[in-house]
Amino acid sequence: MTEEANIELPKRKRNPDDGELDITPMIDVTFLLLAFFVVVSRMDPQAAVALPLASYGDSVQDKEAVTLIVILDKDTGEKVEIYKGRTMRDDTRVPVGDEEFQEENIGEYVENELSSHPTKNAILIKAEGQVKTGMVEMVKRGIAQSELAKSRKIFVGIEEEQ
Amino acid sequence: MSKKKKHKKTKSNSEDSSPDERFGLNEPTGQFADLDEEMKRKQELERQKPVSGVRRPVAGDSSSDLTFKPMGWKGIEEQDEEEFEKDVAFEKKEIPEDELDMTPMVDVTFLLLIFFMVTASFTLQKSLEQPPATSDQPSTEVLENDKILDDYVQVTIDQTNTFYVTTRDAEEVECPSDSEMRARVKDAKETTSATRLIIVAHVDSTHAKVITAWDTGVVNGMTEIEIQTTDEDF
Repeated sequence: MTEEANIELPKRKRNPDDGELDITPMIDVTFLLLAFFVVVSRMDPQAAVALPLASYGDSVQDKEAVTLIVILDKDTGEKVEIYKGRTMRDDTRVPVGDEEFQEENIGEYVENELSSHPTKNAILIKAEGQVKTGMVEMVKRGIAQSELAKSRKIFVGIEEEQ
Repeated sequence: MSKKKKHKKTKSNSEDSSPDERFGLNEPTGQFADLDEEMKRKQELERQKPVSGVRRPVAGDSSSDLTFKPMGWKGIEEQDEEEFEKDVAFEKKEIPEDELDMTPMVDVTFLLLIFFMVTASFTLQKSLEQPPATSDQPSTEVLENDKILDDYVQVTIDQTNTFYVTTRDAEEVECPSDSEMRARVKDAKETTSATRLIIVAHVDSTHAKVITAWDTGVVNGMTEIEIQTTDEDF
């Protein structure tokens, strides 16, 4: 028995590779899932915009459109904030002012965007459902101030009902 | 591996021997003194030989004398153990490393997978084409309903977000809910076969209501949809 014990102990030490699992299928599946999520996911920080629901809608590529975001102030839920572009940052926000000033600001932004990116063929207004119609109309009037925008279509963002 | 084989060999040989001759079990009797010396000589010779990856029993050592190492009754001697460890280390180096270590790659892949799973958004964001705003000034053109030849369906949204549906020839009907408005517009479309939908929205009505009215027109096959806004209370 002593001899057996002496032999057994080192055996376990010397064969560390015995219990290795074949992880190839797992890696295959993982890559498949990874590829799937890379394709379907959108690096869109604007998912927070509660767009109104509708049955049908057209697909407009974000990259091909000049985007404007109209949302209600998160704290009070009353004040409207308008953002130029797809990101909601302080520096992209339309400054507070009277309607004329804001319309002008929006018009300038759209004009600049369309002149620097002539391939953009649409203007997309992503407005929250609870925003008042008057505010959306004001944004539209701002867009109308841009000469280049006249040859572009205007779209309003919606969320398609499932 | 070589050690393993060696041990097995040792064991099988020792089994063939008489119980008294088994090493490591009984106290040394001195009867293997000659064998011990011979073994030492052989070990010396082996040490001088270039070390190969696998240690095999020397040919001609099939008899029990090969395996009867002078282990005494303590089992494997310390020196032997050291020698053995060296062998193991050497063998590890000699194994061809033709397989890649995939562990870090799998780690990174999982990390990416989790990241994309968490950030993925499956909401279907689409858009509706709308006409551009022309002016916020009141229209100077006066059109009376009687002069409009084509049939139309009009959806009015007041400042309290209530719908009113009317057609050219019908009375205005109040629709407190979205579904009722949808039903009324559908009826109006079927009775008049109008293709024009006019949405008159108060500036204080919500954008969602306008979109609901617009969507109703699209669903019912209205090809001309227009929006008018007003700040006059209904």
